[in-house]
Amino acid sequence: MSPETIRTIFDVASLTSILVLLVLGMAVIVGMMRVFNLCQGELVLLGAVVAYLSHRWFGSVAIGIVLAPLVVGLFGAGLERTVVRRFYANAAGALLATFAVGLLIRAIVLARMTSQGAPVPAPIEGTIAIGDARVSAWRLVIIVVVVLAVAGTYLALTRTPIGLRVRATLDDRELASAAGISTSMMFTGTYAFGAALAGLAGAMIVPLQTLYPNLGLDNLVPMFMAVMVGGLGSLHGPLLGAVAIGVPTGLLPTWIDSVLAQVLVIFAAIVFMRLRPGGLVNRDT
Amino acid sequence: MASTFTRRTALQRFAAGGAGIALGGSLLSACGSSDDGAGTGGGDGPIRIGAITDLTGAFGVVGKANQAIAEFTVGEINAAGGVLGRQLELIVVDGASDPATWGKVAQQLVSRDKVDMAIGDVTSAEREAVKSIIAGRGKTLYIAPASYEGGECYENTWTVGAVPNQQVDPTVDYLLEQGARTFYLCGNDYSYPRNVLKAARARIEQGGGEVVGEDYIPIAATDAPELVRKTISSKADAVFEVVVLPASVPYIKGVVDGGYTGLIAGTLFDETINPLFGRQAQGLIGAQDYFASIDDPFSREQVAAFHQAYPDAPFGSALNSPAWYRGLYLWKAAVETAGSLELDAVNEAMNTASAEKLIGGPSHFVPDTKHVELTMYLGEMQADGSVKVLKDLGPQEPLGQCA
Repeated sequence: MSPETIRTIFDVASLTSILVLLVLGMAVIVGMMRVFNLCQGELVLLGAVVAYLSHRWFGSVAIGIVLAPLVVGLFGAGLERTVVRRFYANAAGALLATFAVGLLIRAIVLARMTSQGAPVPAPIEGTIAIGDARVSAWRLVIIVVVVLAVAGTYLALTRTPIGLRVRATLDDRELASAAGISTSMMFTGTYAFGAALAGLAGAMIVPLQTLYPNLGLDNLVPMFMAVMVGGLGSLHGPLLGAVAIGVPTGLLPTWIDSVLAQVLVIFAAIVFMRLRPGGLVNRDT
Repeated sequence: MASTFTRRTALQRFAAGGAGIALGGSLLSACGSSDDGAGTGGGDGPIRIGAITDLTGAFGVVGKANQAIAEFTVGEINAAGGVLGRQLELIVVDGASDPATWGKVAQQLVSRDKVDMAIGDVTSAEREAVKSIIAGRGKTLYIAPASYEGGECYENTWTVGAVPNQQVDPTVDYLLEQGARTFYLCGNDYSYPRNVLKAARARIEQGGGEVVGEDYIPIAATDAPELVRKTISSKADAVFEVVVLPASVPYIKGVVDGGYTGLIAGTLFDETINPLFGRQAQGLIGAQDYFASIDDPFSREQVAAFHQAYPDAPFGSALNSPAWYRGLYLWKAAVETAGSLELDAVNEAMNTASAEKLIGGPSHFVPDTKHVELTMYLGEMQADGSVKVLKDLGPQEPLGQCA
């Protein structure tokens, strides 16, 4: 393969893996829990903040990447207990409340910023040779981590007793409750898990960018598009949606104008949602 | 005197002058100063300056920098006796990085606060949203400090930032001097990058160079791997790029790490932006109206005083900081020449207004163009974020504006 072809394949894999990583937490919260979580982008931002602070305080971004899911997961648990749970029966309320939370987090980060972005170095800098092409080492790490995170999340939800209880709770809360499952704990835990995945995403992608208040918000539209194309009610639906959006977004600009490529992808997504409103994986019909 | 200007004297004199800065920078604090509502054009009270920028939202950091330099400059002018013997009162409003909000707060500046002059823009969309409200229907002089794509010739509106040719021509000339013959051009898809690259292409072809590719990515792109690929495979001697944040960070890092060996030039590099690129900033080329490292004692003193007064506020060409300072002083010069705040008289004086003591160097309006000649500097960005000044380019005229 020519270096050009290798680079193209790698770029598509990189773009798609980043979108899958961003969508993973959303697949849990929006896809499975069906909470329209408009602060999903800010949970990603908080993960990036943890990586940045860890770099500043401990001199290590790697520690931040380990800490980010824990810190943001805990934050998510607190957020579910105080705000999100009040709106399970009120989708519009959830939309507004989580929007407000996101706004608040962005404003706090902005208030602390004195430049248009704060650089966060990648734990592994430089490039790696694949054939005759040189590719970013950190992007390669992200691809590997995404594969592991998706596999781990899938196994946790399908092969563990807790995963079984989570799915039972989300499928039929009353029945699960009657069966002796603490559904309240399950909701808190599931939201926290989705938040932790968002935190991991933020900490992983911030070295590619810089820390800035709109880091999460700037990715929210493709994230939501992936979830809508993928369909609600399952974990794998939104992830397939992310692949369906990510691959053409990465590949089309090889032959056509990037701007036209973006328009085509969005147009195709809209047409698809019109023809198949339930998405790729439709649990409701 | 400006050279002995300290934070303490600034604050004391400022307070003594009875001027109320909207320190919180919010709409609320601006509300407090809307009492007499009678306009101040002929009065003896303070002259009201409306500063409009983005204190919140995507451009919040730019806005905070703008507010700080506006407060600093107004404080300095007041400490030196004000304008026409009257103190200046600064009213800061927040456009929240949203053109619709800009329209609303601009209306407040004009009809509620009745400002005598308004200054501020971050994006062209924001300027477009307010110019008819302030300068058109509002009949209020409006100064737009942002470096932009050029072509703004609206009534009562004066731009004091660099237009493409002032940054592009000397930069392209340098690339040609360095032996570059083939060029690759790229940026985000909106008017600023397109106009800059149009100017770059013209200068390249005029100088005997060849453009081997020109590509654009969506305005809201956060990553640009395809642009990195196309840049590297273009094998051009030099790249002229206008990729904006946030995509510029992965773009620059990707191109440098991906093994591109040509020169990389653009219009958006300065000390406040370079650190975002990490060590990959090394060798980037660009021209600006100010760098922290320029050899100009006045600029150094002023910026040192600014940093002392506003330790948390950034100052840089990419934040339009020197242009805000320049805009306020050129307006001061025009009002003093006109001898009044009467709009037609000030407009006439603005047409030929000039100032020697400015951050970055002297500047004046080129008559009948509504744009300013600027002292420009060519810089090479360093791995630590600093800028090595390659050349003092001297005065650069804005070309093709409002003729």
